Amino acid sequence: MMDIDLGGDGRYSSSRRAAYKYSIDSWKKWCDKNDCRLFVLNDLVLEKEKMAICWQRYYLFDILDANEIEYDQVLMIDADTIVHPDCPNFFDMSEGKLCGAQFDGSWDWVLRSIENYSKYAFDNYMMPWWKYFDCGFVLVNKNHKQFYNDIINYYFTNQNTLIQLQDTFHVGTDQTPVNMLVHQREINLKLLPYEFNMSDMARKEILGDDLLFTKVGWIYQYNAIPNNKDNQLTNHFIKKTYEHFYGELNE
Amino acid sequence: MKKNVVWWPAVVNTEHTDKYGGYEYFQYSRKTWEYWCERNDCLFVPFTEPVEEDLFRYRINWQKAIFLFDELEKRGIEYDQIALVDSSFMIRHDTPNFFEMTDRRFTAWRDMDNMRWIYYSIQGYKDIFDGFELDMSKYVNSGFMVFNEEHKDLFQRFKQFYIDNIDEFIKLQDETVKKGTEQTPMNYWLQTNQVDVNTDLPLPFKLTHLQRKTLFHYNWQLNEDKTPFFIKYGYNCSFNGIPKDNRTNMMRQAWELTKHNYNIETIKSDKILDTMPHKDTAKYTTSRKFKEDIFKTFSDEKYKDLTMLELGSCQGNSTLVYSNVFKKVYGVEKDKWNIEQAELKCKGVSNVEFINADVYSPNWDFPQVDVVMIDAGHTYEHVKHDIEKVVNYFNNPIIIMDDYGNPNVEIKRAIDEAISSGLVTKGPHIGEVSGFKTAAGWVMNDREGIILNYE
Repeated sequence: MMDIDLGGDGRYSSSRRAAYKYSIDSWKKWCDKNDCRLFVLNDLVLEKEKMAICWQRYYLFDILDANEIEYDQVLMIDADTIVHPDCPNFFDMSEGKLCGAQFDGSWDWVLRSIENYSKYAFDNYMMPWWKYFDCGFVLVNKNHKQFYNDIINYYFTNQNTLIQLQDTFHVGTDQTPVNMLVHQREINLKLLPYEFNMSDMARKEILGDDLLFTKVGWIYQYNAIPNNKDNQLTNHFIKKTYEHFYGELNE
Repeated sequence: MKKNVVWWPAVVNTEHTDKYGGYEYFQYSRKTWEYWCERNDCLFVPFTEPVEEDLFRYRINWQKAIFLFDELEKRGIEYDQIALVDSSFMIRHDTPNFFEMTDRRFTAWRDMDNMRWIYYSIQGYKDIFDGFELDMSKYVNSGFMVFNEEHKDLFQRFKQFYIDNIDEFIKLQDETVKKGTEQTPMNYWLQTNQVDVNTDLPLPFKLTHLQRKTLFHYNWQLNEDKTPFFIKYGYNCSFNGIPKDNRTNMMRQAWELTKHNYNIETIKSDKILDTMPHKDTAKYTTSRKFKEDIFKTFSDEKYKDLTMLELGSCQGNSTLVYSNVFKKVYGVEKDKWNIEQAELKCKGVSNVEFINADVYSPNWDFPQVDVVMIDAGHTYEHVKHDIEKVVNYFNNPIIIMDDYGNPNVEIKRAIDEAISSGLVTKGPHIGEVSGFKTAAGWVMNDREGIILNYE
């Protein structure tokens, strides 16, 4: 997980980070229960001007090595998620493949993103769009070390184009390029059910104060919420979900 | 002989005419499915007259499932696999044959559009299934399912279960739960009977709730193609999850945008073209559009008795097309391995003959024909030579030219000069257009081909 104080208005602004502590603690509890280790990255690898923070997470293997952490499989998970305490151990479901979770949100955004990146950054290569996954939940193992290096290399080779695309079209940063690279480089991919990364829950009419989503799945990502001024709703639901499962957070 | 069957329920319930804004939408679904069945050699079986007249006690959604096998047998239909598809679905003309992808398992697609509705529907029907804990992550949409005779008993027992509990089901669907009719009970039935359900077929085969999925949009940022995403990327789309009285209007618009693709008269050629590679995925052939245009351009009866010679038949993809257009086709190819491949492709085709010869040998010994395809050497000099020699050797033949818009060679120049000098007359262009990207990586800068001396 990444929890880095960048200030400003972005993903790691103060208002967005306010509730990440609940996310982190829910994951700590799940890790303890399932004999896993939680690693939270609090520092940038490179200056944010050199590489946006979303791209820096693909230094994952270097970071683990630098911290002398031995690992088997690694889940890269966003800090705006809460995990259900009884969430099945997804590491047992990976079959050694790179895993994401089934996506079913705004396909307009996804298809525009795929088409735009395809045209300007992938020489018109098109991926099977229905296999798109959210990079907020990606499970990898040692065999994917080279692929993550390739992602970093791809970024630096195409840095100017990628930044221009981000700023022009606003259809994501790393997520679509990484999806494209997975398929273009024929990385063996397994998509776990949607319940393992429940993004865009409002679209599915399960995001509400009755916390219905906690009854129908395992990992909740509080994104794409309408009228979410200053991330108030994200923070509200993260805190409420955490307290529903674990009670008040001991800080 | 047993065929795969598409079972298409479309019964008018006059009591619900206002709710649905009429039933005109049936026709748009029907046209797409009739075409698809014809193209894929399946049997289209409409279910338009109810088995039970009481449409309150026996809703059409129940009848479509519980009487399906009875009806097929009553009509004497021999079936292999059966696709049950609601009349709110429109299938794209070139959708791959899903019957070939099922592994003969019960095949369905997950439903997770409105998960709140699904959750409460599942809870609502729980008691009638003795408190069974249904796995919501395996909940499927009952508007499109594929199964076979092995599942007959499953459906017949489902019928009996409904009839035995009909009053309770009616109360649940109309008063207590009010979340659907047969879909959730069907899901309970599948799971309580431990049916092996294949949910691996891709999402484009079952696109529901198009509005929720924002698939009515197009890429306004590139603004190059205004085709809505559901048409561009979907195979089988349901017009549900929208106000029901809008359905006819939405399906009519979708039909107007796509109806040119559902041409029953071109099914024979479409089937042939479905079996072969084209220029977008293979280097040494023409595009699908080029081949389609050959079929169209020579569709008139007057061309049927013509004979044809192909200079440079390569591996025989085009040859197979020409064999379906002309009376006799000769393929000239100097590479023996290519001829072997071409003969394999044309195995069983009686009107094709291959000639192992070099187009650039000084003495030609080819039969006299009415049409010549020139696709041998690709330099300016080669093409200039080929056109002049063909014109001199044959008796004013129709000439088909490929690679007119290939920017890497000067075929266009050689052709244009032959036209301007009066050696040949200009006919229609065929094939892809400028901007088309080929499998070889180059992009056309003009039309793909041209026909000379056509008139």
